[in-house]
Amino acid sequence: MIIRKGSFICCLLILLSGCWDNKDINHRLMPVVLGITGEGDQYKAYLQVPRPESDEMGSQVIIEEGHTINQIVNKISVNMESSIDLLHIKVIIVDKELAEKGLSDLITGFMRSRDISSKALIAVSESNLDDLFSKISHYKAPEGSILLDYFEKNAGWEPQIALTRIWQVYRSIHSYTRDVAIPLVGMGDTTFLNHTGSAVIKNGKMVGRISSDETLLYNAFSGHSTNGKIEVLDDASVMILGNQLMTKNKFENDKPYLTTNISFKVMILETKNNPSAEKIKKELDKLLMGRLEGLLEKSQKNKADIFGMGQYFRKEIPRDKLKNWRSNYYLALKLDLNVEVDIQNAGNLKIPSK
Amino acid sequence: MDKSIQITVFYILTHMGLIFFLYPANIIESTTAAHWIPICIGLFVHILIVIIYLTGLQFFPHKDLVSIYTASGATMTFLFLLPVGVYFLMINIIAVRAYSEIIMIIFLSKTPLWAIMGLLLFSATYLAYKGLKAIFQTGLILAILVLPLILFTIVVSFQNVDWRYIYPIWNDDFSFFNKSVYYKSFFAIGGSFLFLGFVHPVLPYRPKMVLLSVIAILPLFLISVYVPIMTFGQATSSNFLFPYVMTVDAIQLSWLMFNRVTMFFLLGLVIFITLFMALVLWKTARIMHAFLPLRNQGLLVILLAIFIFSCALFISDWKEIEMIFGWNTPLRFYVVFGVPLSVLILGLRQTKGETTP
Repeated sequence: MIIRKGSFICCLLILLSGCWDNKDINHRLMPVVLGITGEGDQYKAYLQVPRPESDEMGSQVIIEEGHTINQIVNKISVNMESSIDLLHIKVIIVDKELAEKGLSDLITGFMRSRDISSKALIAVSESNLDDLFSKISHYKAPEGSILLDYFEKNAGWEPQIALTRIWQVYRSIHSYTRDVAIPLVGMGDTTFLNHTGSAVIKNGKMVGRISSDETLLYNAFSGHSTNGKIEVLDDASVMILGNQLMTKNKFENDKPYLTTNISFKVMILETKNNPSAEKIKKELDKLLMGRLEGLLEKSQKNKADIFGMGQYFRKEIPRDKLKNWRSNYYLALKLDLNVEVDIQNAGNLKIPSK
Repeated sequence: MDKSIQITVFYILTHMGLIFFLYPANIIESTTAAHWIPICIGLFVHILIVIIYLTGLQFFPHKDLVSIYTASGATMTFLFLLPVGVYFLMINIIAVRAYSEIIMIIFLSKTPLWAIMGLLLFSATYLAYKGLKAIFQTGLILAILVLPLILFTIVVSFQNVDWRYIYPIWNDDFSFFNKSVYYKSFFAIGGSFLFLGFVHPVLPYRPKMVLLSVIAILPLFLISVYVPIMTFGQATSSNFLFPYVMTVDAIQLSWLMFNRVTMFFLLGLVIFITLFMALVLWKTARIMHAFLPLRNQGLLVILLAIFIFSCALFISDWKEIEMIFGWNTPLRFYVVFGVPLSVLILGLRQTKGETTP
């Protein structure tokens, strides 16, 4: 009996230990940033791998070329003393040219293999990735990469930076009514990065760009908070404390109509020439309104529905027609915009009301 | 002793294991809009057959399915008991093979298949060898350990939901009735309830409690389909093999110290599936025992496990799994409808015989 039980427990030890082909953590390289450019029909990948140094976190950049990302990873693994594990990649930076050529294959590959988390953020670089990655290891960051902190909501993120994940880009490849904007960055002179706006991605391809200020409105529309953004007017500068979106839709004579009310709550920071609250309100109103209208016009021209306005008409337009939302209905969309500005407070000093 | 709690918990667990993997993709593939219509038809069928089955079983408080059929003659045995046995055997082979492939696709891409299958089957066989009580008690313990995690994941999976994807609510197109993939979705709907007829002599339960658990799992069917649709939209989620797993993957919680909630969710569900396999294995052995009265039923379990393992080794790819799944579907409908109805009819005949001697 004891022998039977003993051999059974030995069996359990072997079967349930979970030690199968696993590589210990000290034999794995876990890059956090992946940069990709296209060279001919090949990809060139840059992997930034954090390395713990004596008292801080350093990093190392590995560069390799290949036909697919997996081939590249495999090549690197062969040459390295440890194996590469893409599980912890948090940020993917793509060259602008590659983004304009189309990201569909790349993104579909990420979604298929699940090696790279679908939560990874994606950004487009306007400067050469060679330069970017040669400088990146000089900047030390607690999480292993400065790029990571740049996009982290609890670190360097600001409301004028679009925050788009791999799965959202994948959704835009297939969705009838949804496109995305992803951040555009370049090398900065005194800072590491320079945020230059957002790339408009339609069906996995970059079709246009919007400015940094316009991205703020994009974020407001997609439900991110715009807290903390500072708007500069002729007479004053204000800080946005919150935003709210109310939308009503109507579908008549095969034409979509949308009434949108966006209300911003602001706080006054600085003024010039002592303007009245009314004046500041009006000025801000005009500024945001003009910007929103311009943004909509631009995205209609690109036929890219980054606001997901087609979402509001899912009830009215049947699916076989919704398929042509971007080409048929989106261009005909009439938007009635109302921007409402509420000055919540004016800081420590009083402000004239008239 | 009333064991209703064990039965209800087990009912919920096994259905969770069946729902969250293949069911959403089947439904999303069978129709493009108004998914609640096919789901609700399936759920209606589910409730109906469970009620019929429970009513039928109440006529035989001290007999399980095997003794009900063997007592009603050889015709009934061959007409119903044999198909049920074959059905269970096929389910077991499919479950072992399909779920090990799922584990491989989702997280253990480098582990050899036979090792995963071996591990799954080993735990299931051990439980089945120990008998019914062991299976159900394990179910209760695992539910206490794992269910909170699963429920947490289900709640946070609503994170990226865009409610407007729910439209259009209505669809006149009922073409899903012509699609074989819709009938495959009945794997989750009619996959597990038959155990109610095997356990009541050992673990008596109150039918009302079972109906309670039937109601408890209804929202899970809707959630498993609608959360992916509301996150990705129909056009995107129809590309996924496991839409719900993809949705769980997209959850971003910076305050949680674990990066991937998916792991906990999947491991929990795989544990539930192991329980399900243990039970099906035990049931198959119980039916075989009627034809092959060995002294030790445990030996049958082990022989069956070896047979299932070698069958599963012969299935080489996902296409073949789907093909066998397809073969299994007509048999499933026969069993899922035939067994509850026949039990009810046998029960009614029996009471008639008693009242008019």
